[in-house]
Amino acid sequence: MSAINNKNCKYISQKEIKITFDGKSYSALDGDTVASALLRNNIRLIGRSFKYHRPRGIYTCGIEEPNALVQILNEHNEPNTRATIKRTYDGINISSQNRWPSLAFDIGSINNILSPIFSAGFYYKTFMGPKGFWKKIYEPLIRRTAGLGKPPKNFRSKSIHQNHNVDILIVGGGLSGLIAARKLIDTNNEVLIIEQDCFLGGILKNSNKVKSIDGKNVFEWVNETEKLILGSKNIKILKNTLVTTYNFTNHLIALEDKFAGKKIDTNKSELTLHKIRTTHTILANGHIERFISFRNNDLPGVMLASSFEKYIERYGVAPDEKPVIFSNNSSTISLVKSLINLGCKPSAYIDSRNKNDIEDETKDYLLKNNIPFYPESEVEGCEGNKKVEKVYIRGSNKEISSINTSMLCPSGGFNPDIHLFTQSKGLVKWDDKIISFKPDTAFQNTITLGSVSGNYEFKNLCNEINKKLSFLKVNDLNLDIETNIRDDFSISELWETKTNKMSKWSKSFIDLHNDVTTKDLKQAINEGYDRIEHLKRYTTNSMGTDQGKISSINSLGIVSKILNKKIEEVGTTTYRPPYAPLSFGAIAGRSTYEYYDPERKTPIHNWHIKNNAVFEDVGQWKRPWYFKKDESESMHQAVQRESKQTRQTAGIIDGSTLGKIEIKGKDALEFMNLMYTNAFTKMKPMTSRYALMLGEDGMIMDDGIVCKINDKHFIATTTSSGAPKVLSHMEEFLQTEWPHLQVFLNSITEQFTTFNISGPKAREIISKVFTDIDFNNEKFPFMTFKTFDYKNTQARIMRASFTGELGYEIYISPKHALELWEQLFNYGKEFNLVPYGTETMHLLRAEKGYVVIGQETDGTVTPLDLNFNWMIGKKKKDFIGKRSLTRSDTAREDRKQLVGVVPIDKSLFIEEGQHIVECENLPNKIKTPIEYLGHISSSYHSPNLNHCISMAMIKNGNKLKGKKLFVSTSKGTKNIPVEVVSPVFIDPENKRLVS
Amino acid sequence: MILINCPYCGEREQSEFSNGGEAHVARPKNPEALSDKDWGQYVFYRSNPKGIFYERWVHTHGCRKWFNAVRDTSTDTFLKIYRLDDNRPDISEFKSTLKSPSGEPSVGSGNFAVKK
Ligand SMILES: [Zn+2]
Repeated sequence: MSAINNKNCKYISQKEIKITFDGKSYSALDGDTVASALLRNNIRLIGRSFKYHRPRGIYTCGIEEPNALVQILNEHNEPNTRATIKRTYDGINISSQNRWPSLAFDIGSINNILSPIFSAGFYYKTFMGPKGFWKKIYEPLIRRTAGLGKPPKNFRSKSIHQNHNVDILIVGGGLSGLIAARKLIDTNNEVLIIEQDCFLGGILKNSNKVKSIDGKNVFEWVNETEKLILGSKNIKILKNTLVTTYNFTNHLIALEDKFAGKKIDTNKSELTLHKIRTTHTILANGHIERFISFRNNDLPGVMLASSFEKYIERYGVAPDEKPVIFSNNSSTISLVKSLINLGCKPSAYIDSRNKNDIEDETKDYLLKNNIPFYPESEVEGCEGNKKVEKVYIRGSNKEISSINTSMLCPSGGFNPDIHLFTQSKGLVKWDDKIISFKPDTAFQNTITLGSVSGNYEFKNLCNEINKKLSFLKVNDLNLDIETNIRDDFSISELWETKTNKMSKWSKSFIDLHNDVTTKDLKQAINEGYDRIEHLKRYTTNSMGTDQGKISSINSLGIVSKILNKKIEEVGTTTYRPPYAPLSFGAIAGRSTYEYYDPERKTPIHNWHIKNNAVFEDVGQWKRPWYFKKDESESMHQAVQRESKQTRQTAGIIDGSTLGKIEIKGKDALEFMNLMYTNAFTKMKPMTSRYALMLGEDGMIMDDGIVCKINDKHFIATTTSSGAPKVLSHMEEFLQTEWPHLQVFLNSITEQFTTFNISGPKAREIISKVFTDIDFNNEKFPFMTFKTFDYKNTQARIMRASFTGELGYEIYISPKHALELWEQLFNYGKEFNLVPYGTETMHLLRAEKGYVVIGQETDGTVTPLDLNFNWMIGKKKKDFIGKRSLTRSDTAREDRKQLVGVVPIDKSLFIEEGQHIVECENLPNKIKTPIEYLGHISSSYHSPNLNHCISMAMIKNGNKLKGKKLFVSTSKGTKNIPVEVVSPVFIDPENKRLVS
Repeated sequence: MILINCPYCGEREQSEFSNGGEAHVARPKNPEALSDKDWGQYVFYRSNPKGIFYERWVHTHGCRKWFNAVRDTSTDTFLKIYRLDDNRPDISEFKSTLKSPSGEPSVGSGNFAVKK
């Protein structure tokens, strides 16, 4: 049987285009979706199913499609595209998915025979054992045969985000949405209409149900309405846009496809993510037809009745001349009329309703057109080789007869599309008249109109809309809507038909996307999963990308029958956004690659690049990690060289990334005493101190150097990544606990470029650069600083060191930073001044036993654990975290404490993160737990001592010095014997530091 | 994404703000005088009710000011927003405005869609 072109369709052009499907070229019409184009070419086998690899075709004509997912090979190799909504264009290259090696011959379909192991709870049961099966059998098998499309190619999203603030959002440009919009034309409300198709009209264009409105044919009426709207001052229309999300406070998200039906221009934004804030939301998003479960209801050739009608009316193609129609409701007769209009005729019309309930008009029309009519009958099943060939009908006398046909169009009734309404937290209610859930109580300012509200009858529509929008004080609109079918909706409950003929291959599906059968539902309930949320997860029913749009209510119907409960008692599962899959590219927008997060660079950055720096990310900062002397130098070699040179002569590091906070005001001293553990009161002006900041729980939060200019003015440094946190922490306490303190806080991180020069020759070099400053040790001792004017900018030099060597830290305006840095190198050349990066910094400080916040500490370390007792202003009445230091647990003596660790065999290397234990060897099989004493927090090969040095946090570490312990390795069961030592490996007397 | 009405800047998107947990938990005046238990109560314990909750917010990506709010945690409705130096509003102010999606129980997820 072949497809028929409907030349009267006004929504599709007769211009021919070329498309490619699975490598073959076909002609299609401009405006076709992938599905309508394939149907036009009589292609009905589109893909293989998810689990059983059964052949599948096109089931619907819209967003609800469970089967026809394809890969678009051009455009970023986009997978899982719904063939039923993806618009084609000349040259589009489409491939089927989830088949191997080919669509017609698919090895994975063996899964269909193995189906007992793929039944309900398959994911929970199958992978339990035996041991080793996962790696060798399950994973490779499942990887090959399960899943959907292939991931897209790397691409840079050009999508943008757009914000809207409106008074009224109308979701859906169908009949109800247009009536509402007409009422709002030129009112004081700013209105946005969103339509997922590229044409307005909804049911007026998708079906043959409405004949005329106010005497005009529906196409004219829609055009006239669109013109009126576009001519208004207050209403905008977005087409090709799908509302996916309805959040709190009337915030909705919609995705616009800017290139629907066009080849993507990769220089332009292809998707726009609209973020809409509205006062009132009018949901006029319609309904979705549901299917019926019967034997082999998944065969290619089975297509929902109203979808078939939509292909005729909206896309101008009747997929088949003589389908069999099977319905349980009054609405389906319009499909028969559409076919007759085309000169086609259904092979049979099967209506499950009671003879007396079937409209006389329907009976008369079928009789008049000589269409075989089966009242009080149902489809028992269908059969065929990769397509429908034969339909089995159970007649009113319960006898089974069969008809040859190549298409079967079931209709199981309609569900109001309540997805967005329930996302908005509105409550739904069961309606026995339409046999479905419909919106009841709105939680936000949400109004539902038309079929989404459960109103399927056109004669009541204007009345309903006038009533529901009366609060807006807009004029009533009464239209004369003439229909082609009887307007009263009638339906009889039918979820599943009884299967007579059993074969190994036969299945009755409840979820086509995830391959869940009605048998799986029954089995899951037998196994005790009788709650709908459990049942869903156990069977994976309605968990596919279509979220069971055509089948989830059916599963409730079947479950309610088994449990002998009412459907409203069974309840629904939770509807969560998004309504339909939306591309990650659209969500990410332009925030990808280098725009994902800002990159911060210091004023010396370009010099670093020129000098072969290898960079490391520290928060958002780019910091030199190490400098390569030449291409062949390894990181290890570079770090050893930089470290050695610094201790021999001098080294310099760009420390501009350190956070800097200025604290000023009458009460600055009191504030600083509260924020830090240190006592600042007796500290002399123009001196500095290593300072610790704790959380209220007594744990170390950050460290830095505090410079006291006077009692009313301090400058504190923070760690590079801790700067925002420290400023927020200070602001919080200043505002919330001590608002009486008069203090100003200001981040000056970027106002000062910082570098630290250290090493025995540091003084000689810096004296040559700043000739006006006396760097003599007595005049400029350790932990003091001087401020001065440098070319009319503020500058500061501080005696401080993070290496343990004589060191100076220079704070200079970024404007002069690079020239000064270069000057230091000019004068430093004769001493082989070396630039070093963060890795050498870490190595040098470890040699000296200095801790790094976040390396030695992890939020569970107190100052006492690091032997920082000397930094605690014990005489201070209060500071943040003080009280916690005497809590029984914090004051415990056997907490993990900071120690040094060296391997007894000096040729061995200890890895960071390894565990410290008491046993020399780990047993091959660990039967009883091995006591964990602590871990290695830092470990380096010291070039200055020429062996490995490590810092470790060990339980009761202070008392273990001199003791032999063992450190695990990543390689085997033999541990490394180590000695616990002091964590200060170099210059414990601080001779170099204060020299 | 909810809107929050900063008392200093006006209505802004939630993403500009950070939540600061329960409000009106004053830092003890004299921590040293407290027992371990009482101090632990201040440091580690906060209430987490379903329903009316007094909480702190800060306009991080805005004026950086802290303020207080009363929010119904079951619906995310802001019932009142007030400055730190304003008095704590009495809970009786809010009873009548409470509206929950499903008349749901006082504990639990409240993910009910079907009207009872
Ligand atoms: Zn603000």
